[in-house]
Amino acid sequence: MIFSLTATLGTSIGIGTITVGDILWFAGIIVVGVIIAKVVALNVRRALTERLPKSERELLAKVVYYIIILWAIAVALPYLNFDLSGLLVAGGIVGLVIGFASQSVVSNLVSGLFLMFERPIKIGDNINVAGITGSVEDIKVLSTIVKTYDGIYTRIPNEKVFTSNITNYVNNAARRFEYKIRIRYRDDADEAIRLAKEVIAAHPLALKNPAPMIYVDSLGDNGINLIARIWAPARNWWEVRTVLLWKIVKRLEENGIIVPYPQRTLWLADAERTPGSDAGAGKVEE
Amino acid sequence: MFGQYTSTFRYESGDFLVEAERIDGLLTYRRKCEGRAFERILAVSEAARVTVNPVEPVNLPKDITDLLQIEFTPIVLEPGAAQTVYLKFPVEIGVFLASEKGIDILDIFGAGAQKYTLYGPPAGGAIARWCRSGVYPRVPPVERFREGVMELSILNTSSEWAHVSCAVFNGVDMKIFYNDDIAAATATMKIINPTIAETGFIDIPLVPGMTRSVELYRARKIRVISRGYLMEWGLS
Repeated sequence: MIFSLTATLGTSIGIGTITVGDILWFAGIIVVGVIIAKVVALNVRRALTERLPKSERELLAKVVYYIIILWAIAVALPYLNFDLSGLLVAGGIVGLVIGFASQSVVSNLVSGLFLMFERPIKIGDNINVAGITGSVEDIKVLSTIVKTYDGIYTRIPNEKVFTSNITNYVNNAARRFEYKIRIRYRDDADEAIRLAKEVIAAHPLALKNPAPMIYVDSLGDNGINLIARIWAPARNWWEVRTVLLWKIVKRLEENGIIVPYPQRTLWLADAERTPGSDAGAGKVEE
Repeated sequence: MFGQYTSTFRYESGDFLVEAERIDGLLTYRRKCEGRAFERILAVSEAARVTVNPVEPVNLPKDITDLLQIEFTPIVLEPGAAQTVYLKFPVEIGVFLASEKGIDILDIFGAGAQKYTLYGPPAGGAIARWCRSGVYPRVPPVERFREGVMELSILNTSSEWAHVSCAVFNGVDMKIFYNDDIAAATATMKIINPTIAETGFIDIPLVPGMTRSVELYRARKIRVISRGYLMEWGLS
């Protein structure tokens, strides 16, 4: 008796016209599908290790796994004489309904995946997105959680995060802030600049480099306007900003340099003009 | 002040006061340094030890970076040249509690002003603790609890002249040793080209017989692979 592979594969198993070959094809496609699903899910887990918490990583890996398995089953079922055309019609209608219903969910999911790969924000970053300012508490598959500076929990759908302008205040190592300081015309601007530089230099978190910049910006109605531009570590700039201005003002005042009030000097038509007088030295109306 | 203590101790000199004493049966740690005070009651076993030693100077006033940038008088090195110089670095003092069950940080303090800087550009650069030092041909005299000595061996491996006026180190790699006179570290700087250099520390004492400091990352139970620092934003 000679074994014939072709004949064996073509042997009917007694259910409709299904042959041994069809069964083997079905089993082979399912096995390949499972292998591909496992490999892809494993790589999804690895790729998202540092980008997603474990629970969401596992969920996403399982979703990918079962999508591939379903795809393999759909490819393999025709070998068992299952006609999927009816299912496809029904599935198409159901898919359409589900598609419309879950449009925003899918959009948020895809946006979330793009956010995880592009990484414009990270947990702990101080950001402004869609008009909401605060620190990022969590980046989930569908939404980003931001805690505003007044402690309010805010959930922003990932689609909104992805399509909005994102300002990340701490993406760079350092950031600059500035003060406008006004002194009287009678005060020495060079001395004021020197004193302000001393105060800034004494603060540990006001960076040595880039060096702070202080200069006369404009000659205002009520005094000389100085600008101080100071660099600080991006994560600590606010504590520097809230402390330094008052220290500078106090140091200036200790040295007789005063921040002037808004003032107007009125020259009366019949009054004798005093040579050399300046703002604050004549008749003053506040 | 540096050393290991098994019971009460007291060190007072100038601006420094560090002590552990029993008050109403409670072991109390106290520290004063330049007007800043710190106090903790210690609930520890008889076998517990207090260790006081210099630590990586990147913790004060805030633990915001691991990098230390030392700026010094510019040095010009011809291609292939090697030069060993001595620099000063700020000393921060760590106080550790150690028992059979592990080690923990009790206090970190230091004298003098601290300053931070940005090494590199705002986008891509890094915040570093900054200090300025002179360049010395031999171990300079230092105020023991304020300044340490770093032996820096600079090697210009490039085929171009190199101008060096700063060195940036990863403080986590720093191996500090101390004796009765100084705290010291031994570092290397390999110039790859006129704008890039690699820095690192060598785990050997500057002077034989020095005691090795307990490192902060050990107390914080952080696994660290010594890998040096690549200065890619210039050498000055």
